[in-house]
Amino acid sequence: MSDLENRLLAAHARHDKPELAKLYQEAAANTDDIGSQGFFLTQAYIFALDCGAPEASQLREKLSRMGRI
Amino acid sequence: MTSDLSLVTRPVEDARGLPNAHYIDESVFTEERDAVLFANWTGLAVASDVPEPGDATPIEFLGLPLLLIRDKEGCVRVFQNTCRHRGMILVDAPRKIEGAIRCPYHSWCYSTKGKLVATPHVGGPGMNAHEKIDRTTLGLIEIRSHIWRDVVFINISGQAAPFEEVHADLIDRWGEFSTPVHHGGSDSRFILDVETNWKLAVENYCESYHLPWVHPGLNSYSRLEDHYNINEPGQYSGQGTLVYQQLKGEDDATFPDFAGLSAFWNEGAEYIAVYPNVLLGAQRDHAFAIVLEPRGVGQTREHIHLYYAEDDTDETMRGANAALWKSVFEEDIFVVEGMQRGRYGPGFDGGRFSPAMDGPTHCFHAWVAEQLIEHRQALAAE
Repeated sequence: MSDLENRLLAAHARHDKPELAKLYQEAAANTDDIGSQGFFLTQAYIFALDCGAPEASQLREKLSRMGRI
Repeated sequence: MTSDLSLVTRPVEDARGLPNAHYIDESVFTEERDAVLFANWTGLAVASDVPEPGDATPIEFLGLPLLLIRDKEGCVRVFQNTCRHRGMILVDAPRKIEGAIRCPYHSWCYSTKGKLVATPHVGGPGMNAHEKIDRTTLGLIEIRSHIWRDVVFINISGQAAPFEEVHADLIDRWGEFSTPVHHGGSDSRFILDVETNWKLAVENYCESYHLPWVHPGLNSYSRLEDHYNINEPGQYSGQGTLVYQQLKGEDDATFPDFAGLSAFWNEGAEYIAVYPNVLLGAQRDHAFAIVLEPRGVGQTREHIHLYYAEDDTDETMRGANAALWKSVFEEDIFVVEGMQRGRYGPGFDGGRFSPAMDGPTHCFHAWVAEQLIEHRQALAAE
């Protein structure tokens, strides 16, 4: 299991939403696959939206540009 | 079963009280839920339960899962606490909504105003929209609500006339108390769980007849003859006193008065049942609200809140005032529980009223009966 996966699981266990938003963005940045990027950015967007993180609006715009909202 | 209400709506001199079934029968409890509690403006909570924007608290009210929330602009709202996707409960404990209300199941997200703002993966992995999912039609189901004197009233049927219209006379009666009330905080709220039907708590509250017997401490300075009945058929009832005495603290300190009151309120005070389930007290220096939560045909939870004219009242005096009222309301418990047990006696016919003293109670019974008759007529016409 990768370091990122470990950090994601730990953040999920802590219900650390700001951290989850960051880690899923990191996961999106680590892949060239458009489908995977859409999945990870969606995860990041939802956790950012949940906790009121300021990057929620940027993530929404990004997903919108990708035709995913 | 369908109870006979023909005797209940007679003039007080000839009337009987509501039949036993209205206190002990599950099917009548359900009928009253629909005809009385869902059809009218019913007390749910107080706005002070959600003091800050984003504060949210789930409330199960008569089996309905509700969510009381103060939105980001400060407006208090009531929603069904149910996700529009799979019907999952959205919020299961009081908490602050920092951003959006996220369903814990598939993470559909709602704004604090109830708008559906995100549907992750609804069109497949990473696809957050689908042509058949119109987010504009899938916001949270909002329950009509209205706040008066901090009490959150809800109309679950959605069919009642506007609150200000239904209670125009009472709002006008207490027009001098239109300045804001300030909740006393954690030391000014308490709960009493009582083994009684919710209506008996209303009935006991709105009459002064029992004061010399049940509250002898109060009666030492607030005698029965200093009270008057408040009877507004079809609207509300209660009692008033002409000898209200302020609580005195150290060096005879008193709570500050509500601004702009006329001389009547120097020693006047009124205690009114806002039908169906809210009991209010208005006095020159503090107020209270009791929201009766029917938890079963014979179980009621009384949510009691004390209010002042200002935010920064003396803590010691607030504590003493809360203790005083708690002792008064606790004195009533054996009465409402005793009347509940008494209604299992099949020979009891609803009881006879004192035409002089029981007008407020009869006023409430007649109102309940009218709601039920109207409900039955509507069902029969379907």
